[in-house]
Amino acid sequence: MYQRSSVFKDETKLDISYVPRRLPHRDQEIQLLRQFFNFLLQFPGKMAQRVIISGDVGTGKTVLSQRFGADITSEASKLGVKLHYIHVNCREYRGSLFLILHQVVINFHPNFPRRGYSAEELISILFDVLDEENAYVILALDEFESLVEREGSEAVYKLTRMQEIRHGKPQRLSLICIIRNLKVIERLDASTRSTLQSNIISLEKYSKSQLIDILNDRVPLAFKPSTVSEDTVNLVAELAFSEGGNARFGIELLWRAGKYADAEGFSIVLPEHVRKAASSIIPTVRKSEIAYLSFHEKIFLLAIARIFKAAQTAHITFTDAERAYAVICEEIGEEPHSHTQLWKYLKNFAAMEIVKLEVSAKGARGRSTLIYLPRIPAEELEKELSMLLEKDRRSL
Amino acid sequence: MSLEDVLSSRLRIKILKILLKMGELNVSEIARRLGVNYNTTSQHLKILENEGIVKHKMFGRIRLYRLNEQSPKTKALQNLLESWEHSNK
Repeated sequence: MYQRSSVFKDETKLDISYVPRRLPHRDQEIQLLRQFFNFLLQFPGKMAQRVIISGDVGTGKTVLSQRFGADITSEASKLGVKLHYIHVNCREYRGSLFLILHQVVINFHPNFPRRGYSAEELISILFDVLDEENAYVILALDEFESLVEREGSEAVYKLTRMQEIRHGKPQRLSLICIIRNLKVIERLDASTRSTLQSNIISLEKYSKSQLIDILNDRVPLAFKPSTVSEDTVNLVAELAFSEGGNARFGIELLWRAGKYADAEGFSIVLPEHVRKAASSIIPTVRKSEIAYLSFHEKIFLLAIARIFKAAQTAHITFTDAERAYAVICEEIGEEPHSHTQLWKYLKNFAAMEIVKLEVSAKGARGRSTLIYLPRIPAEELEKELSMLLEKDRRSL
Repeated sequence: MSLEDVLSSRLRIKILKILLKMGELNVSEIARRLGVNYNTTSQHLKILENEGIVKHKMFGRIRLYRLNEQSPKTKALQNLLESWEHSNK
């Protein structure tokens, strides 16, 4: 069969999960992480470490932690230290300490049951597992906010302090907490804060020239030679810079531009392809974040997107959204979730900055919550959610 | 226990097949897959463990069973089950 040629050599190098060998402009931070965890290689079990990595979306928090994790585990294995780096996105597990810890345990025992014990028991089980394997874990808690929001200080306290009371036993669990905003830490109580706050690595937003370096690093890995011009890279960097120095956005934009070039049968990626890609991308909200929403959260958000698409208004009310949600539930034969549950979903969308909420001035029928969709084109959001819901339903 | 005694139970053979496939499981999950209750499963696992064919590890209240791969009996049974499954494909 005739196969159309592509500008890509290896698209996976632009995937969100790809961890490059080199992280331009994050050398210092990698060095700092090495300093913080060096003792783990020299004196395993003597102490545990806790580090916070903070920074805005697309500043390289996740990839920094993953690169460091891959490097330190390979170094540890050369030294005969059984060190595991486990990266868990807390939002993916709804911020539940239990589910997060279960994810860690199944790294060692893949069929470990999900029921029949509490989160506290699971922490102690985890230490038993690690003792038995004589293993150490660096647990990276990505989107740590989610854990703090759901479980509060208690969970973090348990995670950090439970191993300290294992008198005479090795310290096996170290933490890397990845957050967007350090303000989250302020919500924790003083004693929990004190266990976390000593080592903080704050990542600054990338400048345009730094974004150019990052993109230039990826281009030869992902694209065939001479398919991406300097102009194209410059434009992608410019747009990523205007999105708050968001490297992830830039990398995804580059991938989409390549897709447009392929679809139009071009052998090079032109700035025009970047423009087309930019108008199709959902800015600031990551596709992955929407993908992590629960099935009913996705339905509710789809309902919101549909009203905005149809009504072309600046805002809608919570009641409008609730009604549209009920209609979709009926369409697909799902039992609708309660008013209170939908309210929680809406607060979550606001926390994720997908929607903005405002309380209306007191009218004849009292105050109501107004929902704005300030950043995302409703049509794009609807398309994305319809696709994700279809995928979810197929896997049910 | 003689070989015929060990293999005289359909449930014990099923347990071996389950553990061969899954690697490691807790008692409740084995019971669920067998479609029998916890106590019955536990008794059969005990017999297999006494024969050194399976072994378990405790984590808190959770008991995880797996085949005892060090045992020549297990190896022989493993070969038998695998050959049997293979020739039935």
